[in-house]
Amino acid sequence: MKMSIGKRIGIIASIILSVFWLFPYIYTICCAFKPGSEVVAVPPAFFPKTFSVENFSGLFERMDVWKYLFNSLSTSLISTIIALVLGSLAAYAIQRSGAKLSILLVVLVLCLKMIPTSSISVPIYGLICDLGLYDTKIALIIVYAAVNMPFVMWTMLSFYEGIPSTLDEAAYIDGASSFQTFRKVILPICAPGLATAFIFTLFLAWNDFLLSLLLTSMNAKTFTVGLAGFLSAYNLDLGPMCAGAFVFSFPVMVLTLVAQRYIVRGMTSGAVKG
Amino acid sequence: MKLISRKTLLLFFLPGAVFMGAFLIYPIIIMLRDSFYDIGITGDRTFIGLANYARAFTAGGFLKQLRNTLVYIALAVVVETVAGLIFALFFELNYRGSKIVRSIMMTPLMIAPLVAGLIWKLMMSSSFGIVNELLTRVGILSSSSDILWLADTKWSLIACCIADIWLTTPYMMLMILAGLQGLDSGMLEAARIDGANMLQQILLIKIPNIKPVLLTALSVRIIDAARTFDIIWAMTEGGPSSSSETLSIVIYKTLTRYNQVGYASAMAVVFIAVLVIFTLVFMQSLWNPKKKLS
Repeated sequence: MKMSIGKRIGIIASIILSVFWLFPYIYTICCAFKPGSEVVAVPPAFFPKTFSVENFSGLFERMDVWKYLFNSLSTSLISTIIALVLGSLAAYAIQRSGAKLSILLVVLVLCLKMIPTSSISVPIYGLICDLGLYDTKIALIIVYAAVNMPFVMWTMLSFYEGIPSTLDEAAYIDGASSFQTFRKVILPICAPGLATAFIFTLFLAWNDFLLSLLLTSMNAKTFTVGLAGFLSAYNLDLGPMCAGAFVFSFPVMVLTLVAQRYIVRGMTSGAVKG
Repeated sequence: MKLISRKTLLLFFLPGAVFMGAFLIYPIIIMLRDSFYDIGITGDRTFIGLANYARAFTAGGFLKQLRNTLVYIALAVVVETVAGLIFALFFELNYRGSKIVRSIMMTPLMIAPLVAGLIWKLMMSSSFGIVNELLTRVGILSSSSDILWLADTKWSLIACCIADIWLTTPYMMLMILAGLQGLDSGMLEAARIDGANMLQQILLIKIPNIKPVLLTALSVRIIDAARTFDIIWAMTEGGPSSSSETLSIVIYKTLTRYNQVGYASAMAVVFIAVLVIFTLVFMQSLWNPKKKLS
């Protein structure tokens, strides 16, 4: 079948659009592989004239890359696991209780999910200082887990809802305890839901900037805060910054491609089913 | 038959609830209390009633930031929705390789907002920024220093919006695409047979039928745009002369730079209250909790 002209125009347009949209990112990658002086050359050029890894060595010289990456990774992983375990259990209880109170709780979860991190920065800063946890990884782990838990619960609520309670019933009749029912029957069915919640929460914590800026200074600093340091008023190291942006975002982009199915589901869940 | 005993449910519920209570709800309550106090740098506190709130709503308070936030939301969300819709209509086409193009388009989806802000700050630099260089070459600008994106009070907020639009249009596209793919193909077939042209199909069939998805995506985006911090912080830190300062930024600054805990708390309380009310009103019209739980 011959393609209609309209369709052909559509295809070309969609390809042009995606290239156009990726331009800033491609430009950053190009800048990362330019020599430092070329990044701030006037007028700027798109492609590197000479290929160089000078910016990467500059990045490693000026910033404790491994430490910051490790801080980012460890805090986001551990907080995600905490949020996932506690959140999925609590959401199950809310969904299955069927009490009038549970509607209220669902609304509360939704409201907590909407709260801007910047606005609760005020009391959280006080709380963490009172606990003596300022500039520790534990502080970040606790706060990430707490802030992201409503998101986990919200995602899981919509998944549990799709599982008929007759399934719980069958397991119960077969002699399983409540916890066994949850672990052996419900959780395996919810595996895609858990995967979705996991990857989203992980990204939210990994990408966080504000909380780390607020709660850390030296020891527990994460990569995002270190990266922003390249752009302060007295320090304009754009070459290493591009290299850092590349190092930080490349794993994210790869993971986005690999786990695309779960990401799409996470973003559209609830919206399409309505 | 009550399947799971109340006790077990409580056991499931409590750990998460206690954790969230201690580290999320308790701080919010503390904030609510603090908003009625004047708290000095040394921690001495005097009860001043609603004075913090009154201060926020008078000249020199947060009215300018409120306006900036609203402008930011309106500009970013409108452009994102329109662009997302156009993208989704293009990307809806199926052809060999369409999945790959779609995946590529999705890669920036999860990039940290901070990184997006930094990238755009680099690109919008007045001297070595590629944006002005390209605009000059195309002939829109006569010289690359015609628009000082980040240093001009007229442009700084718009510059931040552009970075936001770049980062989140793929999200809009994804949501709308999911809606479009869920449409009944028979309906479109019928419209086609009745002689509806491409534009009529889009305006009269596709858009009205994805309205629920569109509204949900809009509400999520409006709230996210209101909460934006990283992008603006990376690009301008709210400057120059607070021309790109939004509520998120001013609350953070009041806390960390001016150390006015009480006043920052009052602004945060107002901010949260507005967002929660917006969420509830918006969700009420879309979503019925009773139906969802039954």
